[in-house]
Amino acid sequence: MGNKLLREQIALGAYFSSVRDGKFKNNRITAHMILPLRREDATQNALLPFLMRKGSADCPDFTALNRRLTGLYGATLEADVGKFCNSQVMELSIIGLDDRFALEREEVVRQCAQLLAGVLFRPHFVEGSFPAADVELEKNYLKNTIEGEINDKRSYAMLRALDTMNEGQPNALRKYGYIEDLDRITPAACREAYDRMIAGAQFEIFFTGSGDPAPAKEIFAEALASLVRRPVEIPAYEPQLTAGTVKEVTEEMVLSQSKLVLGFRLGRLETQAQQNAMRMMAAIFGGTPFSKLFLNVREKHSLCYYCAARYDRALSLMLVDSGLSAENKDQAVQEILRQLEEMKAGRFTDEELESTKMALATGLRSTTDSLGAMETWYMNQILRGCAVSPEEDWQALRRVTAEEIVEAAAGVTLDTVYLLKGKEA
Amino acid sequence: MSFTKQTVTSARMGESYEIYRHSSGLTLNLYPMEGFSTAYAMLGTKYGSVDSIYQIGDGPVRRNPEGIAHYLEHKMFENEEGDAFARYAATGASANAFTSFDRTAYLFACGDHFKESLEILLDFVSRPYFTKETVQKEQGIIGQEIKMYDDDPGWRVMFNLLEALYHENTVRNDIAGTVESISHITPELLYECYESFYNPHNMVLTVAGSFEVQTVLDLVEAYYHKEYPVVDIRRFVPDEPRAPKTAYVEQVLPVSVPMFQIGFKGLSLGETGNLMAQPADEIILEMIAGDCSPLYRRLYDEGLINSTFGTEVMCGRDYISLFFSGESEDPRKVYEEIQKEFTRFCEEEIDRELFEICKRGVYGRYLTLFTRPDNIANVLMLCHFYGVEPYALVDSLAALTTDDLKQRVRQCYDPAYSALSVVKGGEES
Repeated sequence: MGNKLLREQIALGAYFSSVRDGKFKNNRITAHMILPLRREDATQNALLPFLMRKGSADCPDFTALNRRLTGLYGATLEADVGKFCNSQVMELSIIGLDDRFALEREEVVRQCAQLLAGVLFRPHFVEGSFPAADVELEKNYLKNTIEGEINDKRSYAMLRALDTMNEGQPNALRKYGYIEDLDRITPAACREAYDRMIAGAQFEIFFTGSGDPAPAKEIFAEALASLVRRPVEIPAYEPQLTAGTVKEVTEEMVLSQSKLVLGFRLGRLETQAQQNAMRMMAAIFGGTPFSKLFLNVREKHSLCYYCAARYDRALSLMLVDSGLSAENKDQAVQEILRQLEEMKAGRFTDEELESTKMALATGLRSTTDSLGAMETWYMNQILRGCAVSPEEDWQALRRVTAEEIVEAAAGVTLDTVYLLKGKEA
Repeated sequence: MSFTKQTVTSARMGESYEIYRHSSGLTLNLYPMEGFSTAYAMLGTKYGSVDSIYQIGDGPVRRNPEGIAHYLEHKMFENEEGDAFARYAATGASANAFTSFDRTAYLFACGDHFKESLEILLDFVSRPYFTKETVQKEQGIIGQEIKMYDDDPGWRVMFNLLEALYHENTVRNDIAGTVESISHITPELLYECYESFYNPHNMVLTVAGSFEVQTVLDLVEAYYHKEYPVVDIRRFVPDEPRAPKTAYVEQVLPVSVPMFQIGFKGLSLGETGNLMAQPADEIILEMIAGDCSPLYRRLYDEGLINSTFGTEVMCGRDYISLFFSGESEDPRKVYEEIQKEFTRFCEEEIDRELFEICKRGVYGRYLTLFTRPDNIANVLMLCHFYGVEPYALVDSLAALTTDDLKQRVRQCYDPAYSALSVVKGGEES
């Protein structure tokens, strides 16, 4: 299943990783800057990738930068912010066509790496900081993004359920920050945040594609070598193991369909083997179109179009979510919990076990057929402190036994029942 | 039973694929890819939501409930022995299906057990089984699916736009129909649609990725063992005026910033002509409002659009439109500016430098379509139904000139034929 991950340190707290595979037609380079997620600087950190995306000292004009990208066969430069447990991850990535397909044999990969390193390490500063007009614009757009979390109702409901479950912990903080912070963010504050990120973030530069990663590694190593680095420690995440009294939260919105989310605590899952057993448990329970939730909540009782369970390995919790009519909520909760009891009692067949394993194997195999999926896979590995390939993961997963799954299910307790209830306009 | 084989090669990409025409009437497009771990197979019929009105030969005109093609797709998964998903479970394939405006496709992705998975696909799609009870049961599930889309502002803003742009064209109907329209669907209607549209002559099997060509050929021989007569499907051709039905449409839904979608209604050249024109239209969109255009910059700097802004060509059998969509506090102003720029683009000389840049951008995007098994299988199916050879589409893009572009806008677009759709929060005005 695909080619090997190569990872090496290129500066203090900075690593360059690559997975090369000649079957692709593109190359993708992503710079991840990882900092502790903290209430006091989450918002200004979140602004940084978007400010950097506007230009660099080499190419200060936003439109000129976009023209260079489009002229490079539609290379895309993307800025975003991610979250992993207690860390905030600022991301800049560039995806471009491989040199083999350039109409005039241009060195697309090298130019892409230079562009990315340019926006990251040589920002376009006016009077010592990002241009004031850009800061104002990007603050406004970040406000749109923060407010936009209500647009997708399914993910909004899951976000609200997680808020309820993890209230007061760093990982419950918003990756894009807070609207009330935006007013007092000045260009000077952005410059300070930028300097803190460049000095203190853990850097993970990731290269996937068919091209040669060497020029990109060189370019990033050289840029990092001239910096004074003081990488900041990320506080470890300690999951709550068992639920207390079930938290019931209902919020209302003008909607045709209500969204139900059940949040579960999972007990102590320390070893890879225990975590793999939990992956299997969640998948048999509600991870496939032949899972217990799909066959019962959807097919048997026709309560919904979707009802799925998702195990969040990093946060060590499980969410079950479904879109339904509010009057069917109690019946759905009852049915979901009844199916969980089936799992705890070990009432699943060898066939269900084997089929679910095969479904997971297909997912793992397809990981290696997509650049984006490969990067996501290995970045999650790196953030968890390991480097298991999809193939090695499959070898471990296939050994999970029914007994281990029942043992994993035994630790599952219901923490939160969240309902985003539809009301008439 | 036999196959005729044709190999299609792209010198540009150094790749090739094979088209097999089976005497049953089924066409196969097979694209083996070295180094990949998975295969992606799709069996599709040229039957989508726009085909709710049709005639078979000189028979009576049939007007079926909106959403019937999608309903049929859901019900194909079930037969006497149960659910196709349960059968796929034994092979590990990840299976799914979708219904779009003009096609329905059943698909799977797999690592191992390709043969067994393909067998399931060919088998269940060839064996319809509908009863009153099974059809009834699906109303609740699809009803919830429709409601899910009713709450999706991105979906609503697009369908409201289609309703504004088109008077008669069935592309204005929601793919899944409405809770009301699907209540009229019966087993008899589903059988009738199946007989009309699930005929091998109206279908294609596309496979890309890691698989053996011979395995596919053997299974097609096994499952299609007679020569099917050609069904003379006469699809409803709407008498569609050039001008839109309404210029503005608005809906209130919970959104933070108003969402908008602007559509310029083009002159349809039929499915082949429309698809062949798509690369040129994408360059036009990039030049008018792509992120290297002067207009994009101005709108961005004035805070009128944000990074959600994007453009798209939507084309089918008898419709083609250019879309501009995003979020804005002032969608009317954005519409006005885009209309002005569109007019200028139609009237003035084309900026050659910008043209070359945008052409490269679109060219890179098209080559990228050929990188993943799922994308390739989708492209092959679309191109087959539209009568276009995919490599030829890329080659024609590489050869485009500013004169081609000029001719294209003059022939097919008029900035006056456009509409604006807005979804915003708060009270209805």
